[in-house]
Amino acid sequence: MTSKLIQPTVLLIIAGALSACATGPGGGSIYVPAGTGETTAPQPPRVEQDTDEPRVVRKSEQPTTERRSPSYQDEGDALPAAASSLIRKADNLLASGDAQAAVSQLERAQRIAPRSAEVYFRLSEAYMALGQLGTAEQFTLKGLSLAGNDASSQRSGWLLLADIRRARGNVAGADQAEARASNL
Amino acid sequence: MRCRIRDPILYNPGMKKTTPPKKTPRKRSGSGETRPWFWRLFIRVSLIGLVLLAGWTVYLDAVVTSRFEGRRFEVPSRVFARPLELYDGASVSAGSLQRELELSGYRAEGSGSSGTYRRSGGRFEIHTRGFQFTDGEEPRRRLSLSIFGDRVQEFTVLEGPSSPIVRLEPAQIGGIYPAHKEDRVLVQLEEVPQLFRNTLMAVEDRQFYDHFGIAPLSIARAMLANIRAGGIVQGGSTLTQQLVKNFFLTRDQTLLRKGNEALMSLLLELHYEKDDILETYINEVYVGQAGTRAIHGFGLASQFYFGESIDDLENHQIAMLVGLVKGPSYYNPRRHPDRAKSRRDLVLGVMADSGLITEQAASRAQGQPLGISAKASYSENRYPAYIDLVRRHLSRDYRQEDLQSEGLRIFTTLNPAIQYAAEFSVSDTLKSLDGRSEGTLESAMVVTSRDSGEVLALVGGRDPQFAGFNRAVDAKRPIGSLVKPFIYLTALQNPDKYTLVTPVEDKAFSLVFDDGRRWEPKNYDGQERGEVPLHRALSNSYNLPAVRVGLDVGIEAVKTTLQNFGVSGGISDYPSMLLGSVSMTPVTVAQIYQGLATSGFNTPLRTIRQVTDAGGEALSRYSLKVDQVADSASVHLVQYAMQEAMQEGTGRSVYRTVPDALTLAGKTGTTDDGRDSWFAGFSGDLLAVTWVGRDDNGPTRLSGATGALPVWARFMSRVPQHGFSPVVPDGVAYHWVSSEQAALTNEGCESARFMPFIVGSEPDIEASCGGSIERRVRSWFEGLFE
Repeated sequence: MTSKLIQPTVLLIIAGALSACATGPGGGSIYVPAGTGETTAPQPPRVEQDTDEPRVVRKSEQPTTERRSPSYQDEGDALPAAASSLIRKADNLLASGDAQAAVSQLERAQRIAPRSAEVYFRLSEAYMALGQLGTAEQFTLKGLSLAGNDASSQRSGWLLLADIRRARGNVAGADQAEARASNL
Repeated sequence: MRCRIRDPILYNPGMKKTTPPKKTPRKRSGSGETRPWFWRLFIRVSLIGLVLLAGWTVYLDAVVTSRFEGRRFEVPSRVFARPLELYDGASVSAGSLQRELELSGYRAEGSGSSGTYRRSGGRFEIHTRGFQFTDGEEPRRRLSLSIFGDRVQEFTVLEGPSSPIVRLEPAQIGGIYPAHKEDRVLVQLEEVPQLFRNTLMAVEDRQFYDHFGIAPLSIARAMLANIRAGGIVQGGSTLTQQLVKNFFLTRDQTLLRKGNEALMSLLLELHYEKDDILETYINEVYVGQAGTRAIHGFGLASQFYFGESIDDLENHQIAMLVGLVKGPSYYNPRRHPDRAKSRRDLVLGVMADSGLITEQAASRAQGQPLGISAKASYSENRYPAYIDLVRRHLSRDYRQEDLQSEGLRIFTTLNPAIQYAAEFSVSDTLKSLDGRSEGTLESAMVVTSRDSGEVLALVGGRDPQFAGFNRAVDAKRPIGSLVKPFIYLTALQNPDKYTLVTPVEDKAFSLVFDDGRRWEPKNYDGQERGEVPLHRALSNSYNLPAVRVGLDVGIEAVKTTLQNFGVSGGISDYPSMLLGSVSMTPVTVAQIYQGLATSGFNTPLRTIRQVTDAGGEALSRYSLKVDQVADSASVHLVQYAMQEAMQEGTGRSVYRTVPDALTLAGKTGTTDDGRDSWFAGFSGDLLAVTWVGRDDNGPTRLSGATGALPVWARFMSRVPQHGFSPVVPDGVAYHWVSSEQAALTNEGCESARFMPFIVGSEPDIEASCGGSIERRVRSWFEGLFE
């Protein structure tokens, strides 16, 4: 009985450690500089004759877990400073009533931080201001898909979704989203 | 729209009427007694002539004014690359930053003027030129930054308004030209430096501001010179006459044309201000040729020869451009630098003689090299395949004639560094593949930004500079196994029935159709493996399980998935579609993989961010849009198997080329006899699709892994980027499992894999490391930990 109890505990600790490893520092994706120098051409790839032959790689043979097991992360990337400054700019534009200009700045921010939930929620707000609720709803959903286990991000996403759905007349959907938010 | 009047003026029937009467008097001039009659006729004819001349003048006047008043120039549209954004952490290598600067015509020198940069190792100091974007101005700045590990660091604004992020001005990558291929950048007279104007007049027309269109004295001087030389060696033409000649008339040197030219010059001067005429001249003058493209006007000439705007020119540059008017091809500085230099030095002498610059300044300028930018800052056909796609996208909203004449500015999403890497990877890899196949191998490649759908690069063939058949857009080929992720996605959307560890049958079978035909699909290697877990069937691209699963979920359901992800054309109903008998272009494949790469969000591919008019006013925006077409949880499972394909499956040779740390997901595709070799896959930042095959659809000895994948891998290895690491969506949990046994297991077991499941669909049996299965005795502690 004791051993059975220990097993899942160990499992969870290891899983936690592993996911932290996969997530990388600061919750962001791992940045990899180009593998080859600018001036030297890479070696021509050695072309394998029979690549479709299955090769079962046992865990014990795996040299590094980093690439030998598919990667995932528990939450989206943090916002870099440059993206935050563009979001601030967009906030000001939105406050002054120029939602279209805000969208332009937010699209710049999205290109810099495409895996941050925040950027998509802001885009959603700008499209709400433009009265394009369908577009706004999709951006919220996209943001939510990147919120992962960040409870505050999840919460603001679901609340935003509830607002949009209510404005679109989808009361049931709004209630559902609100319920998700309050469960967090 | 533009009325270009040439021969009709000269051969107007009205003209012919005046000619015979003029000849009549001469024939009869011998006889004295017919004198009163002769004079009467003469006066009459003269009167008629005068009336006709008056009529002709009125006609010419209408021509001159209508042409001059109306829009004077057809200005081609200019196509720009995306502006490079610089900030701390920006992903760019030192080499590609330098190339980017060169593409925008930056010169590597420390002179400190705008449009220059200095690089030492990874340190850059850049003097930007500034640019008026529709969403605000980027003023001129002096920037300092260093590049380490392919990222911008220590980004500082040394001069100019400070900002944590700065856009460089976008490089021009092409244009959309009118049929006559005249290219120009319109400038206003105020933008043209006074010294430039004065030099032009000193060389071409000293009395410009004093004469009334023609300068009889200069004409006389020229005629004398011509008579002496026995041919035309000198023109006494004023700037006005030169303009009229270019603007309204043909190039032949007839007396009649000379008359018209003089008349029209007078009329032009009568109606318009000198400044107006000078400005038009400056924009009209022909100054060079780039392939089929005619370079007109000093505005474009400054950019074309020096990469500068006209108000930034130095003395020797002004002198060269003005000197060019006399003979743009004879004095072509790229082809005949010696002639161009001696002509330039002559003009500098004239400038000094006229007191425009000092003698010292002139001789200093004469000592300078021509300083012509090594090549045109862009060449018309640098990115033919990409521009082709841009034109197709533009044609949805713009008429061709407007694109050719309204001077629109088209801001595209092309990323020159990515394009460079894509072109290199295609052409270089194809060279190394050549020995492996009969017939000429061709290739195509599409690279998009994973989360925005922006098309960053497009290669239409193995010779990327060749503006021929654009395979990325027009080659519609069967996609082979690229279809499999969509089959399994359709299946995984039903978690009660399918998970990543669901055993699927890898066993041959035959389908008999109503008409008696049989279909017996086979695996690529001809083997059968009995039962394999679903994730392995996908990562190893086994055919038999894919067809079985596809038939189980239904061809219609798979079709619907494909349509949701962006396939618009018809899809075959035959079961062979499950092995990819459906044909698509590389661009369409990139479109449907966008949804797989982004947790189920379809993102329309875009090549254009914005179109503005010549004044920078936005005409249309093409904004980022997302549309959820599949639930994120099931897409996450497919992404797992597509990552596995790169690590253990058909795509694993990628890591011979790509750094281990770069996590990737992708899928190979091969059609019968290697006629098509495909690879589609993505990292954290980029999605790329490559195709290799023959134009005649002949067989090759290549598979997706040996043809298209090497191109893809080489590309990925050359671009700094983030690895693929999807956020775990709501409703997905990871478990340690023994996938062969479809059972939960202990993390320490040899066969254990940490795999995602839609919550509730994880196995409910447990396997020990030894492999013995037991139903999980989970009770109270389960609630404690989950």
